[in-house]
Amino acid sequence: MADDVTAVVVDDHPVVRAGVAHWLSTAQPPIALVASGEDPEVAWTAPAESVVVLDLHLGGAAPAMPALRRLVEAGRKVVVYSMRADDDTALQCLEIGALSYLTKSEGADHLVQAVRAAAAGQSYTPPALAGALAGDRSETRPALSPRETEVLVEWFQSESKEFVAQRLNITLSTVNSHLERIRVKYAAIGRQAPTKAALVARAIQDGLIGLDDL
Amino acid sequence: MTDHAVFATTRRVLLVVVVVIQLGLTLPVLVTHSREASWVAFVLLSSVLVAGFVAELPAVIALPGTALVLVASILATTALPHAASFGPADWAFGLVGWYVLLLLIERPKVAMAALAAHIAFSVAWFLHDGNGDLGTAGVVILSGTSLQIGVLVMTRVLVRDARLAAEAAAEHDAARTREELARQREQDLRTGFAGQLGAVLPLLADLADEVVSAADEPTRLRCSVAAVQLRRLFAENDEVPDPLLHELTACVDVAERRGVVVSLAVSGTATPVPTEVRRELVAPMAQALAAADGRAKVSLLRTADEVRVAVVADAPGVLPDGGSPALVTVETSVHSGLVRSEARWRTT
Repeated sequence: MADDVTAVVVDDHPVVRAGVAHWLSTAQPPIALVASGEDPEVAWTAPAESVVVLDLHLGGAAPAMPALRRLVEAGRKVVVYSMRADDDTALQCLEIGALSYLTKSEGADHLVQAVRAAAAGQSYTPPALAGALAGDRSETRPALSPRETEVLVEWFQSESKEFVAQRLNITLSTVNSHLERIRVKYAAIGRQAPTKAALVARAIQDGLIGLDDL
Repeated sequence: MTDHAVFATTRRVLLVVVVVIQLGLTLPVLVTHSREASWVAFVLLSSVLVAGFVAELPAVIALPGTALVLVASILATTALPHAASFGPADWAFGLVGWYVLLLLIERPKVAMAALAAHIAFSVAWFLHDGNGDLGTAGVVILSGTSLQIGVLVMTRVLVRDARLAAEAAAEHDAARTREELARQREQDLRTGFAGQLGAVLPLLADLADEVVSAADEPTRLRCSVAAVQLRRLFAENDEVPDPLLHELTACVDVAERRGVVVSLAVSGTATPVPTEVRRELVAPMAQALAAADGRAKVSLLRTADEVRVAVVADAPGVLPDGGSPALVTVETSVHSGLVRSEARWRTT
């Protein structure tokens, strides 16, 4: 039972909480929902290893960035689930230390994969986020190799990793490792957070990325 | 400019009047009743004649000139023989009035004041001198000054009319220019539309000539392409903050009406893209969307140095020919039932 993935859903709309709960419980294997509510405080009632699915816009006008920051600094694994698709917000959440950023227009498949990846301490990059990373023009953005950029762009454009693999003539796992490397490069910049540090450490340990690449 | 023309012409006419009066009428009188002071006045007046050759008199010439004329008026009047005011021997009275007009035609108020001073002095001298015929004096004053004031008034009327005419002419010219501009713009729009109607006109011609039938699949594909092209063309001239995205959305809209499930993803911030480039960026994606059935994903990516428009769609059929773009790089490929088409434009 220790390997079972558990999750907490924080969203101000009951229908979204119910929908997410349904998606998680019908996933194969199912993901157990241990708590849900409209206040970020509910996340603290759940076990520390639970993945927090956090809506950024909880009633108030300002996004719930402070709540995200507190959770991440306590080492919680957070998947941001937002109705907003603007690149800046997505990049800001990654900077703070969210393991994934999903827009609500992205379906169950991406959410389940993101929760599973987060439970293992890994990042997940859905197509919209890949687009945000590919279009990132900030001064501090990490240097990506041409191949990494191409993978990001193709993934953003097609939403199909099989298609990307076929197009670039690489294997599916290579597509995934390119995406992971990109996220590790992003985790290595900006402010430090336990989740980001763990992401980088693990990537180096696995030989996915060398210290020179960072 | 028009004021200038009126004043210049009037001054030329006045110059002729003054010369004719001075040489033709006053000189013979002066010769018979000659006195030293009269000749001084005559020379003073003649020196002012030079001003008559200047088209537009500045105040620095006009006002001292007027002072000279008034001095000449006093000299000439006081030098007259006894009881000769306003009589045949009074050579200077009318002439001085014409000189005042010659100098002050642009300044009617000053001219009126100078004329009034001249008449007042002449009348005062006439009264002081005594023995004159009051009736003759009245006729001379009235006939002389009314003509001169009439010239002054006529000049004002001419100036006003000239201004009105100039304004009307300017307005007419502006209207002509606006009309010409509008005609030119409409023509440009027409040629522009005709140039970009692309597949529409040949298709309509073929349908009208019954060369093709709407029942055939290739014809339907052509119709579909034409519909997307038209929709994009309509969107092209809309005033929107992000024209490229606006045109993409328009094409997506047409495909969705045909039953294709399209998702549109946008990344990066809006950058200015010239109309020609926008056309070429959107065209391949519009072609692919026209051929798509089932699902399609359209994406717009704007990085620091590139704008990329891509479509990945279920498209079983053959893609229509997209022509050869000049400004963008287009890559189209088919992978297991999915067609991918991408247009890239380097912003730098």
